[in-house]
Amino acid sequence: MIDLSILINNLDTYLEGFKNTVLSSIIALIGSFILGVIIAIFRISPLKPLNWIGTAYVEFIRNIPLLIITFFFFIGLPALGLTLSGFVAGTIALAIYTASFIAEAIRAGIQSVPKGQMEAARSSGLTYLQTMTKIILPQAIKIVIPPIGNQFINLVKNSSILGIVAGLDLMYFGDIVSSTTFVTFDVYIFVALFYLVLTIPLSLGVGYLEKRLARNH
Amino acid sequence: MIQFAAVNKYYGDFHVLKDINLKIEKGEVVVVIGPSGSGKSTMLRCINRLESITDGKLTINNTEVNDKKTDINQLRRNIGMVFQHFNLYPHKTVLENITIAPIMVLKQTKEEAEKTAMYFLEKVGIPDKANSYPSQLSGGQQQRVAIARGLAMKPDIMLFDEPTSALDPEMIGEVLDVMKALAKEGMTMVVVTHEMGFAKEVADRIIFMDHGQILEQAKPAEFYANPKEERARLFLSRILNH
Repeated sequence: MIDLSILINNLDTYLEGFKNTVLSSIIALIGSFILGVIIAIFRISPLKPLNWIGTAYVEFIRNIPLLIITFFFFIGLPALGLTLSGFVAGTIALAIYTASFIAEAIRAGIQSVPKGQMEAARSSGLTYLQTMTKIILPQAIKIVIPPIGNQFINLVKNSSILGIVAGLDLMYFGDIVSSTTFVTFDVYIFVALFYLVLTIPLSLGVGYLEKRLARNH
Repeated sequence: MIQFAAVNKYYGDFHVLKDINLKIEKGEVVVVIGPSGSGKSTMLRCINRLESITDGKLTINNTEVNDKKTDINQLRRNIGMVFQHFNLYPHKTVLENITIAPIMVLKQTKEEAEKTAMYFLEKVGIPDKANSYPSQLSGGQQQRVAIARGLAMKPDIMLFDEPTSALDPEMIGEVLDVMKALAKEGMTMVVVTHEMGFAKEVADRIIFMDHGQILEQAKPAEFYANPKEERARLFLSRILNH
């Protein structure tokens, strides 16, 4: 049986980690979404230089392990004279990494709106920007919500990377509880349950949004 | 009103439009026919710059379409376009589909735009569908909404790009009827179509295209009775004798 006393005796430690995981996830979620939208706009922009920047960003960041990006901010930047805490370094890395996936999801969503929609709107005299905001993006959003939801769930789970750079998150405090109690299995079961407390509602929320958007035409 | 002067267009190495010279007058109904891949749609789409031309000169009311100084959005206000696949906005109601451009481009008030929209919906025969979504309409109804959407901008020119090609046969008539009425009211229309009956009945002029060239221009009666070009003759015999 799993020993509940581990949870009860170390509840404060767990909750401190949980709080920081939530905080890091929320910051990274907002940051990655904003950055992802910008990169997606770069990628579909008719301006070639922006296009290249967007493509380079996605291809570099998406194809490097998150751990290495985190190390860059935690170990690499101090070598250049800028020291960041594990929490800050991990959260920035998380946002930058996830943004590359979000950018791809948004780009794919926008490009899956049939070309005729852009043509119909532009030929009626609407500007590119008006067409994007009134015609293309409202349709793309429905297509984009499920993949972005998946990215957000991944983001919450990937935030455990903070544990490796002393980021004071759930994983980090899980390690601490484990090393003070000399229990491993049970300790991490509770860590996993705390993650589920975050990810299952997120998952259900995405499913709900998906259904609701599908109902509206 | 619309004038092509020695217009050429290439897609890479492919010569899509070859030395197009064409003058369309105000109030004229011009029907463009020809085999698929002959450049008819491309030529039509050059008129509102959905496609750009490679060289030559294309003017509308003496405004050069491909001039960098031309405000393309301004120009497009006066040119309505109806597409083969309707291209209605699926997330907007019929009424919103029709009013969005008048509100955003012509800065009409919502009430004003809706009044105009209802007027044109009456005209195309489906005022009862104002609050439906496109997905709830038949193909013929969707295309009639698309025509109303184009007309709501009160354009000088209406372009039709194979407006009946994606429709079930029993719905073609209702769309052609709307177009015929429009032609009789004196709208300047350029229509790419395979509907020979329509062409015969309402066209002021038939243009036959093949391989990116205009091979023949004639009044419908003349064209159908006695096509001068061998390829036109062949094309007609293929589509009329079956």
